[in-house]
Amino acid sequence: MTSARDARQAIVPELDARHRHLAAFVLFVAPNFLALALFSYWPLVRNVYLSFTYWDMIAPSPVWIGASNWIDVFTSKPFWRISGNTLTFTVVSVGVTMALALAAALLLNQKLLGRDLVRAVLFAPAILPGSAVALVWTFLLAPNYGFVSQLAAPLGLPSIRWLTDPAWAMPAVLLVVIWRRVGYDAVIFIAGLQGISKELYEAARVDGANAWQRFRHVTLPGLAPVSFFLLVTAILASFQSFDVIRVMTSGGPVIATTTLIYQVYQEAFVAFNAGRAAVYATILFLLMLSLTAIQVRLVERRVTYE
Amino acid sequence: MTRHTRRGAISLSAAITAGAALAACGGEATGGSGAPAASSAPVKIVYWGAFGGNLGKTQEEVVKQFNDVQKNVVVEHQFQGSYADAANKLTAAMQAKQAPELVVLSDVWWYKFYLNKALQPLDDLIKSEKVDAKDYVDSLFNEYVQGGKSYALPFARSTPLFYYNKDIWKKAGLPDRAPKTWDEFTKDFVPKLKSVIDSKQFVFAHPSSASYIAWVFQGVIWQFGGAFSDKDFKIQIGEPKGVQAGEFYRSSIKDGWAQASKDVDADFRGGVTVALIGSTGGLVGHEQAADGKFGVGTGFLPEGPAGFGCPTGGAGVSMVAGLSKEKQSAAFQFLNFSTNPRTQAFWSQQTGYMPVRKSTIDSKEMLDFLKLKPNFKTALDQLPRTKFQDSARVFIPNGDEIIGKGLERITVQQEAPSVVWKDITEILTKEAEPVLKLRKALGG
Repeated sequence: MTSARDARQAIVPELDARHRHLAAFVLFVAPNFLALALFSYWPLVRNVYLSFTYWDMIAPSPVWIGASNWIDVFTSKPFWRISGNTLTFTVVSVGVTMALALAAALLLNQKLLGRDLVRAVLFAPAILPGSAVALVWTFLLAPNYGFVSQLAAPLGLPSIRWLTDPAWAMPAVLLVVIWRRVGYDAVIFIAGLQGISKELYEAARVDGANAWQRFRHVTLPGLAPVSFFLLVTAILASFQSFDVIRVMTSGGPVIATTTLIYQVYQEAFVAFNAGRAAVYATILFLLMLSLTAIQVRLVERRVTYE
Repeated sequence: MTRHTRRGAISLSAAITAGAALAACGGEATGGSGAPAASSAPVKIVYWGAFGGNLGKTQEEVVKQFNDVQKNVVVEHQFQGSYADAANKLTAAMQAKQAPELVVLSDVWWYKFYLNKALQPLDDLIKSEKVDAKDYVDSLFNEYVQGGKSYALPFARSTPLFYYNKDIWKKAGLPDRAPKTWDEFTKDFVPKLKSVIDSKQFVFAHPSSASYIAWVFQGVIWQFGGAFSDKDFKIQIGEPKGVQAGEFYRSSIKDGWAQASKDVDADFRGGVTVALIGSTGGLVGHEQAADGKFGVGTGFLPEGPAGFGCPTGGAGVSMVAGLSKEKQSAAFQFLNFSTNPRTQAFWSQQTGYMPVRKSTIDSKEMLDFLKLKPNFKTALDQLPRTKFQDSARVFIPNGDEIIGKGLERITVQQEAPSVVWKDITEILTKEAEPVLKLRKALGG
C-alpha cells in the first residue's frame, strides 16, 4: 500500500507538469490556430461545399446540384487551355526569373563600381504595387506610340500588338512578372552566396578546379537551401499571380492569358457563378498542396543545410 | 467604405464609454444627441455611383445640388468603380447586410438583382410622390418594367454613336458626315482614309470583350438582320444573318481597316484610330480631349443589308429592397431629383448621356443647347430609332462577356464565325437555364 501511494505521489507531480506543458502549448497555439481555422481552413471546407452548388452570390443560399459543376469544368474546352496557360506561366516565370536572378546575383556579388546602386535599382520593382507596375507597362507596351515600340522602330523591328495579339499577350505578361520578381530573387541569392565559406573556394582552387568547376561543385550546392526556398515560394506566388494579368489583359485576348487563379475571379466576380469558381479554386488548392508535398519530399532530401 | 468603419467605431466606443464615443465622432454625435426629436434629424441615404472622371464630377454636383435644396435627406455619394465593380460590391454588401440604399446598375446587371428579389418595386413611391411617369421617355422607362412593376428609373442612358475625326475626313476629301451604310464605308471611305493616314494609324477600332464589344455588335447584328436571341432566350446568334454579321467583323481585321484596341477611347483621342462606334456617354470627354487638336464628328450608326439598328444602353438607379418606409421615401426623393427634368438637363449637357425626360428634350433650354452642340443633336435624333437589347446579352449572367469573347475569337483570332457562334450558342443556352428557372418562379 505504502509503495503504491508513494508511486502515485511520484507520478502526480509529473502528470501535473505534463498538463501544465499541454496547457501552455494550447495557450500559445490557440490564437494562431483559431485565426488559421477561421480564415483558412473553414473557407477551404466551405469552398469544397460550394463547388457542389449553384449560387449567384445574390440568392440567400446556394442550391445543391451535385457534381455537375465538376463535370462542366472538366468537359469544357477552356479548362485545358487554362491549365496549359497556368503551366506555361509558372514554368517560364519561375524558371527564367531564377536563372536571371542567379546571373545577376553572381555579377553583383563581385566588387564592382556602383554595385549597391544597381542592387537597389534591381530590387525596386519588387516593392512596387503590382497593379501600378502593370499599368505603367501597359503604356510602355502600347503598339505604335508606346515606348517599347518607339525603341524597336529605328531597329527596323515591327510594332508588336503586345496586349491585343493572342500570341504576344502571354509573353508580355510574363515579361512584366519576371521583371518585377527578378530583383527579389537576386537579393536572396546574393545572401546565399555570401553565406558560402570562402575556404571552400580556396580549397577548390588549390585542388585545381577551374571557374566552371568551382561554380558547379561549390556555388550551386552551397545555394541549394536558398534555391529551394525560392523555388517553393516562387511557384506558389506564380499560382496566385493576379494583379498584373487583371490590369494588363483581363485574361484576354479571348483566354490567352487566363490562368487558374484568374478563372476563379472570372467565374466568381464576372460571371457570378460561385459554384464553378469553387471548382477552379479547389483544383488550384489541390495542385498547390501536391506540388508542395512533392517538393518537400523530393527536393528537401537533397538539400543540405550544412 | 468609410461608412462601415465609422458605424462600427461608434457602436464599439459607445459601448465602452459614452465620452470616448463623443470624442471619436466629434460634431456629428453631439449634434445628434442635442436634437429634440429623431424625426427632425435628416435621414441619411448612401448612394453608390459608378461614374469617374468628368462624369464623376458631374455626379458629385448632382448630389450636392440635392443636399443643398432640401434639409430632410442627406445623400452620401460613394464612387464604386465601373458598372461591374458596383454590381460586384453590391453582392458582397448584401451578404454582409451593409448594402447602400441606392445604387447605379447598368443594363446587364439590374436584372440579376431583380430575379433574386433584391430590388424595391418603385410604383407605390412613384404614385405617392406624384411623379409624372408618363414624362419619362417610354422606351427607357419600360426597360425596367417586369410583371407590371418598375425596378429602376433610367438615369445615365446612352446609345452607341459613330464618331469620326473631322480633320482626317477632310484630308481624305470625304463629305463631313458619317457613312450612311457599311457598304459605303468599306468601299468608298476606307480606301480614301487609308491613303491619308500613316502606318501607325488605323481607320476603325474594336474594343475588347471587357470593354463591351458585344454592345456595339448588338447594333451590327441587327443591321445584318440577325439577333443574339429572342426575348424568351432562344439563342439566334448562330443563324445565317448572325454568321454574316460575324463575317463582316472578321473581314474588318483581315482587310486591314480595323484593329482590336486595348482602349478605343484613348486611341481615338490620340488620333491613332480615326473612327469608332462608342457610347454617347463619351461625347463630352471626346470633345474636351480633342479640343484644339482635331474636330469630332458624329453620325448615326451605318446601315447594314437589313437597314438601321442601334441598341440603348447605360444605367439606371435602383433602390435596394427591404428598407423601412422612412428610408424608402427619403431614397426616392433623391431618385426623383436625379431624374427630374431640370437635373436631367444639367446631367445630360455635362456628360452626353440621353435626357430621360420628354419635357427635358422639348425644353427651350435644351433646344438652345442643341444649336451650339450639333453632336449632341445627332445622339438625340438617333434616340427614337433605338431598341431595347436582346435578352441573351443583358439578362443571361455574363452574356455580354460570353458574346464578347466570341467576337474576340472572330476578330483577333480570325476564327470562322459559324464555328464560334455554334460554341457560343451552346454556352448561352446552358447559362440561360438558371435565369429561366428563376423567371418561372417569379411568374414571368
